[in-house]
Amino acid sequence: MSTEPLLEVRGIDAGYGDVQVLSGLSLKVEEKEIVTLLGSNGAGKTTTLRCIMGVVRPRTGEVIFRGQPLSAQPASERAGQGMALVPEGRELWPQLTVRENLELGAYHQRARARAAQNLERVHQLFPRLLERKSQMAGSLSGGEQQMAAIGRALMSEPSLLLLDEPSLGLAPIVVEQMFEVIRSLHQGGMTILLVEQNLQAALEIATRGYVIETGQVKLTGTAEQLRNDPKIRAAYLGL
Amino acid sequence: MERFLELVIASVLLAGLYATMAYGLGLIYGVLRIVNLNHGGMIMAGAYAGWYLHSEFGIDPYLALLPVGTVAFLVGMGMYRLLVHRLPRGAAGGVQSLLLLFGVWLVMRNIAYLLFTGNDQTVHTTYATRAITLAGAQVSVNRLAVFGVALATLGILHILLTKTYFGKALRAVAQNPESCTLQGIRVDRIYALTFGLGTALASVAGLLGATLFPFNPSFGAAELLKSFVVVVLGGLGSVAGTAIAALILAAVEVFPTAIPGFPTYLTAALGFVLLVLVLVLRPGGLFGQRVLG
Ligand SMILES: Nc1ncnc2c1ncn2[C@@H]1O[C@H](COP(=O)(O)OP(=O)(O)OP(=O)(O)O)[C@@H](O)[C@H]1O
Ligand SMILES: [Mg+2]
Repeated sequence: MSTEPLLEVRGIDAGYGDVQVLSGLSLKVEEKEIVTLLGSNGAGKTTTLRCIMGVVRPRTGEVIFRGQPLSAQPASERAGQGMALVPEGRELWPQLTVRENLELGAYHQRARARAAQNLERVHQLFPRLLERKSQMAGSLSGGEQQMAAIGRALMSEPSLLLLDEPSLGLAPIVVEQMFEVIRSLHQGGMTILLVEQNLQAALEIATRGYVIETGQVKLTGTAEQLRNDPKIRAAYLGL
Repeated sequence: MERFLELVIASVLLAGLYATMAYGLGLIYGVLRIVNLNHGGMIMAGAYAGWYLHSEFGIDPYLALLPVGTVAFLVGMGMYRLLVHRLPRGAAGGVQSLLLLFGVWLVMRNIAYLLFTGNDQTVHTTYATRAITLAGAQVSVNRLAVFGVALATLGILHILLTKTYFGKALRAVAQNPESCTLQGIRVDRIYALTFGLGTALASVAGLLGATLFPFNPSFGAAELLKSFVVVVLGGLGSVAGTAIAALILAAVEVFPTAIPGFPTYLTAALGFVLLVLVLVLRPGGLFGQRVLG
């Protein structure tokens, strides 16, 4: 691929206090791809996404978005540049209404101008959020909260969407619905980096994948290659 | 019956002041998880600012509200950027911020002693003693005006918090700051603005209080404690909760004055009896633990 990737993570080390979590982790996401980030609990997937968003600062290495290194910029700039994270555990504002949660998704200048339009699009994608608009976000069901979290991220008009375990703790039917939404976002032109525990589903939807273990990339390839990799089949798919 | 009505009116009017006074304290705690002990200092500063502008330049205290509030807002922002910003927050950082802000209060109080001596001052406007008859009761014009300003202030705050991007962001920061950063909200800026807003409210309350009571550099201490009572009763940052709590505190202070021979020096203590009762019976406050909801 000759064009420069939309996102490049180049050799980052990161951690919390004395605990090192990522060591020399690198990955790339090209425009219009769905890339999935796989790994067992504690491997450092969430930390990777948090580094990309700037809320965890890498000690070394660089996060590059559209060819621009981001290390000198505050994390609050990311949204305006077109990056959005749907965090693990949703992290909504529980005592704001669903509507207010979505509105604040469009907080940065570029998105604010088109907030009304985008709100309508989010409601088309998740009609349930319209029904629940005046309800406190904290009182939503798990699935509805996930919809609200995705909706909030979409309100910021991202060109790169980071999803951290969107299917976690949801009923199978809702999981299926989530993957359907992710697929349709991708078809609409969105570039996606997806962290998932549900390997099977993730590898079905993704174009490429990375497997990380103790903060390092252990394996990478197309979804097809990863699906057929004997190590993955044994370690993660239980086949 | 007439006496009862008078007491009700007096309570409601006093509640306006108490709500304005307490709101800033609750707002800053709700968003920054810092107890602004200098709240009392800013109440005192607001009182002196109003008194100084009135006695030196003949500026009406009500006209002084906006400029004094604006300056206090900037002072609060500056204090955040210079001092508070560096402090650890929440339970872990409680002690440092308490000490620092208490220190700021002591410094301000001593500057006031130096500049204005410890004598009691009053703001004497031409309408200070005027009264009108309201539903058969004599009501001070000035107290009505204080109430009007308090009501308008709370109304504006309510609109600010619920209808503007800034207000929604402020409430969101109180609930989950990292999610705010992720959506492009500059959390530190919201903290600075909130601290400014809370400081401005304290000064406005102080100025309003100065039109009602004589004051000296220790003015603000009892007011800080009353603000605690209202915040604990009414919850953090809810305008309605604050108003109801302020009304309860005011009524608890006002009604016993009707009892013949009730010692006036006890009225101030009644609020704290109320505080203790609430903490024992409903530790989460009367309206639960909602934060700026
Ligand atoms: N805020 C934190 N403070 C200290 N350590 C943390 C913090 N967050 C995560 N860690 C540690 O960093 C390591 C990697 O965590 P991370 O959340 O990135 O893993 P993950 O791959 O997302 O795991 P999971 O699949 O369980 O979500 C873990 O050992 C975790 O305990
Ligand atoms: Mg995780």
